[in-house]
Amino acid sequence: MKTEQNTTLMYILLVIAQILVCNFINVGPYVFISILPAIILCLPPTIPCILLMLLASVSGLAVDWLAEGIIGLNMASILPVAFIRNPLCRLLFGREHMERGENFSIRKNGISKVAAAIVICQALFLAVYIFLDGAGTRPFLFCLSRFAASLLCGCLLSLPVVNMLTSNER
Amino acid sequence: MSGKGNIFRILSNAAVFILLEVAALIMLRNNGRMQDIWISRGVRNFQAAVWGGTEAVRDYFSLRKENDRLAEKNHRLENLVREYRQLTGIDIPADSADDISGRFRFTHARAVKVSRNKQHNYLILDKGTDDGIKELSGVITDSGVIGIIDAVGERYSYARSFQNSGMTVSARIGSDGPVGEMIWDGVSSNGAVLMAIPLHIPVQPGDTVYTSGFSSIFPADIPLGITGEATVINGSTYNIQVTLFTDFSSIKYVTIAENNDDEAIKELENRDED
Repeated sequence: MKTEQNTTLMYILLVIAQILVCNFINVGPYVFISILPAIILCLPPTIPCILLMLLASVSGLAVDWLAEGIIGLNMASILPVAFIRNPLCRLLFGREHMERGENFSIRKNGISKVAAAIVICQALFLAVYIFLDGAGTRPFLFCLSRFAASLLCGCLLSLPVVNMLTSNER
Repeated sequence: MSGKGNIFRILSNAAVFILLEVAALIMLRNNGRMQDIWISRGVRNFQAAVWGGTEAVRDYFSLRKENDRLAEKNHRLENLVREYRQLTGIDIPADSADDISGRFRFTHARAVKVSRNKQHNYLILDKGTDDGIKELSGVITDSGVIGIIDAVGERYSYARSFQNSGMTVSARIGSDGPVGEMIWDGVSSNGAVLMAIPLHIPVQPGDTVYTSGFSSIFPADIPLGITGEATVINGSTYNIQVTLFTDFSSIKYVTIAENNDDEAIKELENRDED
């Protein structure tokens, strides 16, 4: 029960942190920092996919509403991450963990597998985000540079977030 | 979980995902000007592709109807031209199956069934007694003789095909050449033999063969084919190979020619026999 309360609280705090990052940390046009994919990735595996997508939609909408300005952008980008979260975890961390309802952690599964999960989620999120944000008006090279720089920053920032959210898993 | 349960779960997840994603895109469209233009353009392109595709499919499936309509219209125009020629007395061009004598009544028909692989081939046409079709009417096209109506039902008629070992057509070489009987060669879909051409008449390969008009079934001067090699039979006549203009493997629309004077001719013939 305590763990569940901690997860919920941590989840809310991280969404607020994401809102603050979007509002106050402006690195430039080439870098977009987001920890939303990491938050969705670390939600307990017992949450069914549909609920996960609803939670992702609410989080994305909250960020859109309170930070970004274009409502629907973060929501549309985070939904694919929520959709593939469970199959991705089953693929990378094994079916048994998911069936037992255990979350992954860097200590238990190794940094390479966790990093791979973060990279995939971040890449999917950023691909959709940059595609929709550009709306066909930005040059391909700009989008590619933005994607690469944002992926690097997002992954580096997501690692401690994932570590913090899954630190209870031993 | 069972296989069915898994499939249902995947489908429901996908449905919810699509629903939420569409909702997000609608919100995005309503709130971002650039996104609005971009998404609207994408939606228009998609709609255009879908509409274009469905239109192409509809066009494809309505081709038969359109062909029927055009064939019917073509037949009406041919009749108009025929009437005009009758009124003005303009000669018939040698490359058409028109008749300006007024002896024949023409009805357009569609072949609903055509047999091709037998020695006694036949056609089923979509016109019958309801359309005024009578037995022993000729079945023709602009490029040749197709057959003779043998039996008539209310809505359909049965025609003996020219590709029938028992059928002959009276034919003439050129506009005023010798007349003989033409039969199917029994082998190819466009081959025939013109028989009993007298030896003393010179025949060149490449001459056009027409209906003679001596039969009461077919109008005169319908182009039938081109002469080919000639063979001497019993030292007295030629048999000449003819390559027909009509390809029997692609017959779809035909014209039924009914002789208006048929009754009068038969009456005369009967009187002579008596």
